[in-house]
Formats: sequence, C-alpha cells, structure tokens
Amino acid sequence: MSTVSVHGVGTSHFGRQPERDLVALAWDAVREAFADADVTGVDAVWVGTVFGPPGVAQRVLRAMGVTGIPVITVENACASGTTAFLEAHEAVRTGRYGRVLALGIEQMSTAFAGAITPEPTDPEGRSGLALPALYAMAAARYLYDGAVTPAQLAAVSVKNHAHALHNPRAQYAGHHTVEEVLGSRMIADPLTLLQCCPTSDGAAAAVLAPASGGSREVGVRAVALRSGAPWNHRSPHVWGHDVVRDTAAEAFAAAGLDAVSDLDVAEVHDAFTIGEIVTTEALGLVAPGEGGKAAESGVTALGGTRPVNPSGGLLSRGHPLGATGLAQLAEIVWQLRGEAGRRQVDGARLGLVETMGGGVSVLDGNACVVAVLEAP
Amino acid sequence: MGGVSAPGGPDPRPQVSPGADGGGVVDGRRCRSCDEVSAFAWPACPACGGAVDPASFGPFGTVWSATVVRIPVPGRPPPYRLAYVDLDDGPRVLAHVVTDPTADRVLPAPVGGRVRLLPTTDDGDLLVEVVPA
Repeated sequence: MSTVSVHGVGTSHFGRQPERDLVALAWDAVREAFADADVTGVDAVWVGTVFGPPGVAQRVLRAMGVTGIPVITVENACASGTTAFLEAHEAVRTGRYGRVLALGIEQMSTAFAGAITPEPTDPEGRSGLALPALYAMAAARYLYDGAVTPAQLAAVSVKNHAHALHNPRAQYAGHHTVEEVLGSRMIADPLTLLQCCPTSDGAAAAVLAPASGGSREVGVRAVALRSGAPWNHRSPHVWGHDVVRDTAAEAFAAAGLDAVSDLDVAEVHDAFTIGEIVTTEALGLVAPGEGGKAAESGVTALGGTRPVNPSGGLLSRGHPLGATGLAQLAEIVWQLRGEAGRRQVDGARLGLVETMGGGVSVLDGNACVVAVLEAP
Repeated sequence: MGGVSAPGGPDPRPQVSPGADGGGVVDGRRCRSCDEVSAFAWPACPACGGAVDPASFGPFGTVWSATVVRIPVPGRPPPYRLAYVDLDDGPRVLAHVVTDPTADRVLPAPVGGRVRLLPTTDDGDLLVEVVPA
C-alpha cells in the first residue's frame, strides 16, 4: 500500500464554449496536468463524464496520444469527476497502477439551452422536477423552518461571485449586491437566476502517483464515496444533508482529522446557493442552522475563519458536471501549494473537496465524494 | 399543465387508483421487515431490501416543501407548481399542485399545509389540491 499524492493538476477555461470540442477542452486540462507533474504519460486513466457520448473518453485521449493503456469511464452525476479521482487514488494506493490520470470532461452548452432536461426514466424527472426545483424545495423548507433568510441565501451568491473576480478561469464573476441577487429572474421559488450555477463546458485533470516527498506534491489524506440511502418523511433533514454528513464522517476518520476546524479551505458543491448552506452544515464546518449566517457575516468568505469556495464555486467558476469535481480538486491543490494568487487562503495546510450528485428520486443523492488533502 | 411529450418506455411514476369522494390513493408497498413505505411497486424495500406487500396511501397529506418552476422544461410550459407531500402514514411523494386559474400570480403551495391527492393528470402526473384550513 502506498501513500498517494497529487503530482499535477490542470484545467481548461470554464464557460460556454460551444465552438470548442471536448478534444480541445480535455487537451487544455491534460497538457497542463502533465506539465505540472513533469510527466509525459500515465499507466491508466479514469474519466468522469455524465452526458458524454459512448466512447468519448477514448476519443479525447487518442487525440493526445494517450492510447494502449486501460481507460475506464465512470458516471456518478455531478460527482463523476471526483469519483474518477477516488478510483485513481485507490488504484495507486493498492499498487494496481503506478501513475494514474483522473480526467473530468463535460460539454453542456451544445446539449441544453438552459437547465438540464429532467431524466424521463426517473419518476421525479418524468414529473418535471428540474434540478433547480429540487434545490428550491430544500431552500423553501429552510425558509419555512426559519433556518435561513432570503438575504442569507443571496449572500452565498454575492460571496462566490466576488471570489471569482480573482479566478481568471471562472465563467462568471462580479460585485453583486444581495438586492441584485434577489431581484434577478425567478427560476424556481425561492431561487433566482444568480442563485443557480450556469451552463458550462470544461475539463479538469489530475495526475496521481505514490508520494515521493516532492516539494509540490499534495498528499491525499483520505477520500470517501457514498451513494444515498432513501430520503423521505423519516429524515429530519433536507435532501442531500445526510449523505454529505455520512461521507464526510468516513473521510474525516480515514484522514485522522482531529477536528473539522483543522481544515483551512474547502471547495464544496454550491450548484445552488442553498447547496452551500446545507453542505457547510452537514460537513460540520459551521453549526447546524448557521450556514446562512456564516455566508452573510463573512465567516465563509476569503479572509474569514472558514473560507469556502475561493474559486467562485460552481455558481461562478461554472459547473461542467463531469469536470467539476476535478476542478474543485485543482483549486485545493493550488491553495495548498500557495499558488492561488489573489484568492490564496494564507498558510492553508489542510483542504477539503466535496461533490454531490443528484437526480435519482427517493435517494438522498446518487453519490457524494469527500476528499481531504494536505499541503506538501 | 398538459403537453408533456411522451417519452418511450414504461411510466416510472407512482400509480394512483381512484379513492373516495373523487380523491386518489397511491398504489405503493410496505416492507415486511422494516415497515418502510414506498410509493412505488418496486420488487424490494429501498431501505433494507426486504420483501414488500402492496399498500395504499392517501388521499390526505401535508406539504413538506413546495416551489413553482418558472423555466421551460421540455413539454412543460411554465409556470407549474410542485410539492413534496408527506402522505398520512405513507411515503413522501412529488406531486403537481392544482393552480387557481383566477390567481394573479402562481405561488407555491403553503409549506405545512394540508392537501388531498386527486387522480393523476392526463399526462400521468400525481396531482394534489390544497385543502382549505
């Protein structure tokens, strides 16, 4: 068994890029990751994608000469990229392969004009439950319970759009006010347009290999994955809370984390504003019911005591589904190396990645991945 | 709320049978082992994998949460009202909510309010109406 490090990361730009194909997007990410790791090849590849057509992994990899080795494609909704990372990590840890590439790719702009079309073979998808509506249900319940205010929901969007001002790869960035966020077009009550992630194209990649003590290697302390259990009237929590909590508990135990407060920086799944609030509570980064207040008061902002989504998150960096988990990972690697520029969390030593996949009715998420990473 | 384009294959949504006074009941399942309830005729309990028996739920329930979808979804002109409804002694189901055609603006069903399950829409969606308090 080996201790595993991330030796290199890379990403494309994130945004609507219908004129670029997945070969070009993946090349941006892989070329940068290989250069970052100072390698020219790997022994195996795990690829995460949700809407990529059959054969898409081999199609993009052969265009860059990554051929003749095992290539495995995984799909776990929005957590597909981090699922590829988890599998790549396990392959290196157990010695199955020496050096492995985890790659996430997604092109959304050519597939959907707006929100993802609800999946018609799923009962709730067939009923018209677009993903913004699923998160809107959580937000409406939080409002009913008095666990958040509309201004606190909006504060997540304000914060993450401001973070992205310092991320040149981000799809959107801006100085928004709470009033602007709440006044933007209603998508699914109570979530307005600026509380929803955009339609994004992009790719992100990481090279994993046994730790060798290199000065730029970011250690993988632990990574865990769970799929959801039934979510229903018996749960006191909103959709997604319990699977995040349970996956995090497994990852934190495996990482030997003394306290969640030891984490210096986190990239979490803020596909919608309420998602970041629920997730920061489920992870234990903030106390139950304090997620909204933490966003409003600056606790989870850059410069706060619990900085969350310094990259701009899914809300602003963008959310190309299969690429998202590895984009989150790349941000944490840069943060832990001190390479994050003007969005750097000073002295970050321990970082967290959390990705949440949805879209399977009755389940509390179809996959959640939590990873804990450590500075060189 | 009509106009859903009909995708191929069996309908995955819960099946609803006529109940008393024009209401509807969900033809679901109850687990013999753990008593979990489900709105679906699936072969095993989604919580424990145990054997299940047919069970009916509804028509009355309480709104756990609700929203109005205001973006276009293929085959579904917005706005439309959705709610998660905890059927009394039964499962949580996703249902459409009857819209008052005289209302100025379509608003979500009140969370915590009482609703009654009706027969499905022509498109096969579960449908509830708000019960006056």
